[in-house]
Amino acid sequence: MHNVKRVPHSQEAIQARKERERSRIVEYLALTNNVLSRKKTHDWSRDAFDQTQQLLELNPEFYTIWNYRRNIILNGIFPQSTPEENNDLLANELSMTMAALREHPKVYWIWNHRRWCLENVPDGPVVDGTPSLQWRKANWQRELAVVEKMLDADARNFLAWNYRRYVLASMPEQRPVMTELAYTTRKISASFSNFSAWHQRSKVYSSLWNTGELDPIGSREKEFDLVHNALFTDPDDQSAWIYHRWLIGSGENEEQLRQEIAIIEELLGEQPDSKWCMDSLVYYCRLLLKNHVPDSEDIKQKCHDLLQLLERIDAPRKMRYQEIGQGM
Amino acid sequence: MNTQDKLLIPLHVSYIQSLGNSKDDLAYHLTAHLRMNAIYWGLTAMCIMGHKNALDREEMIEYVMSCWDEEAGGFGAHPDHDAHILSTLSAIQILVTQDALDRLDVDRVVGCDAFGEIDTRFLYIAANALSLLGRLDAINTDRAVSYIRQCRNFDGGYGAVAGAESHAAQVFVCVAALAILDRLDEVDTEMLCWWLAERQLPSGGLNGRPEKLPDVCYSFWVLSALSILNKISWIDGEKLIGFILSAQDPETGGIADRQGDMVDVFHTHFGVAGLSLLGYPGLVDLDPVYCMPASIIEAKGLRKGWKALPRQPAAE
Repeated sequence: MHNVKRVPHSQEAIQARKERERSRIVEYLALTNNVLSRKKTHDWSRDAFDQTQQLLELNPEFYTIWNYRRNIILNGIFPQSTPEENNDLLANELSMTMAALREHPKVYWIWNHRRWCLENVPDGPVVDGTPSLQWRKANWQRELAVVEKMLDADARNFLAWNYRRYVLASMPEQRPVMTELAYTTRKISASFSNFSAWHQRSKVYSSLWNTGELDPIGSREKEFDLVHNALFTDPDDQSAWIYHRWLIGSGENEEQLRQEIAIIEELLGEQPDSKWCMDSLVYYCRLLLKNHVPDSEDIKQKCHDLLQLLERIDAPRKMRYQEIGQGM
Repeated sequence: MNTQDKLLIPLHVSYIQSLGNSKDDLAYHLTAHLRMNAIYWGLTAMCIMGHKNALDREEMIEYVMSCWDEEAGGFGAHPDHDAHILSTLSAIQILVTQDALDRLDVDRVVGCDAFGEIDTRFLYIAANALSLLGRLDAINTDRAVSYIRQCRNFDGGYGAVAGAESHAAQVFVCVAALAILDRLDEVDTEMLCWWLAERQLPSGGLNGRPEKLPDVCYSFWVLSALSILNKISWIDGEKLIGFILSAQDPETGGIADRQGDMVDVFHTHFGVAGLSLLGYPGLVDLDPVYCMPASIIEAKGLRKGWKALPRQPAAE
């Protein structure tokens, strides 16, 4: 149970609730037993199919019933239907699970059922004598809109993000990757602390750089501007700092590293107690030592001074700062 | 406000005992698909609090065996529910904890398809269950490790699938799986432990991802990984103890996700597990790799090189 407030109830109130629930329990158990015994006898009828829906509406986490429902579709309904009817049925499954998902956005089984439906949508009708991908294209396209709606409701839902990546990778008509970059820009502009969107952005850039669609040097320069904007807006927010570390990477570019260190020092000047400024400076100075100036006593001293400050202002993690200092 | 400064063991014991007697509660029936996990959570919490015998052993073993799915060769969450890898691991953990593995036809379980859905959780479950059954050889270590590697992010953490955002619970399953497979060399320890240590918030509680709320269950997901990598000292244990204790229900027992919320057996178990790793006085040692009593894992010769905080002496 998450985020459900505890409200004190009197013994009378608890008894009254149990009284009210009694008939619902009897109905629920009767329906459960009925469906499970039909399942045992491999009942693939429409009637059984409708009952699974009734039960899943009461309890969308009942994974056994999702499995049974798919078996009814595969063994009972598909063999007797035209591709068009199958398409309609799966479209219906998708809208039914949409309602469940709105209420239970973090139930794995519902997301899984949608995956299965999408993967089983028939290609499409024959148009002018040639097979088309109409149905598949339409369903996957619609799915992207669905997942966007889910991310509008909760921009950090990791099941929805995972599902989004899955949809993007599986769509029969691939979208240009740049479109996804624009999507993360929108999400990040709505909230700099949406680390899920920053994370997605790191994956999108990696892919654009790997395929040569974007120049890694020029686009990185521009990306630093966006991150600085976030860092200066709220220097206590972890999201942009973590992303900044990704953007620097292993720190092989000495000029860039020094430039970023200078900018963080500027921010530290404005925010002298900023733990994230100090911790990032230590990290980047150590990269500088490791890759470029292994003998710089000045930089070593700077790290030690910062680590001592960090031990004081961020006491819960002081052992980490001590260990880093000892390792230098 | 009802901030407690002590773990209310007798209350938690009676809370867990009462869970099986809630059949007049609709919620009890609506959570039947979690029953096997719930029994494992309840039993393990009881063991860690030193009250293993407060639950009836025979009744429990009988229930577990009644969930065996002969067709699939695994355990369902409840009688007549389909076998699933989640409930199969819990069933094996219960049987091992109750020293009743002899009831099980091990060869049947090992043969069942463990990789239907892809998720690093299932990889951990397979590694955990097979090593408890002494059949780790059934896993292709290189393939498993290479999949975990694909799920690693630049922050050192791991996601559920390749491309997914780092999440503390997925970090636990990946790090623990690598520990079982003796491949902790895969982990970027400094980077990951930095990310893990930053999960602690000013309240002392831990969150599971950057800029999210703290939650008692992360006490285990984050702590277990830190403990396997020998870096529990990178967070403030005392403050975390305070946070877990504040989430107790001082009237009916049990632990919630955070102060003032409804308790459940899941958070009760992970709260107690976290306290054990933090050296809370009077508790039994917990093995962070298997999330089971440490003595049982040690007796099976499966203990890895993890380190918890030293057990504090009981206060007068």
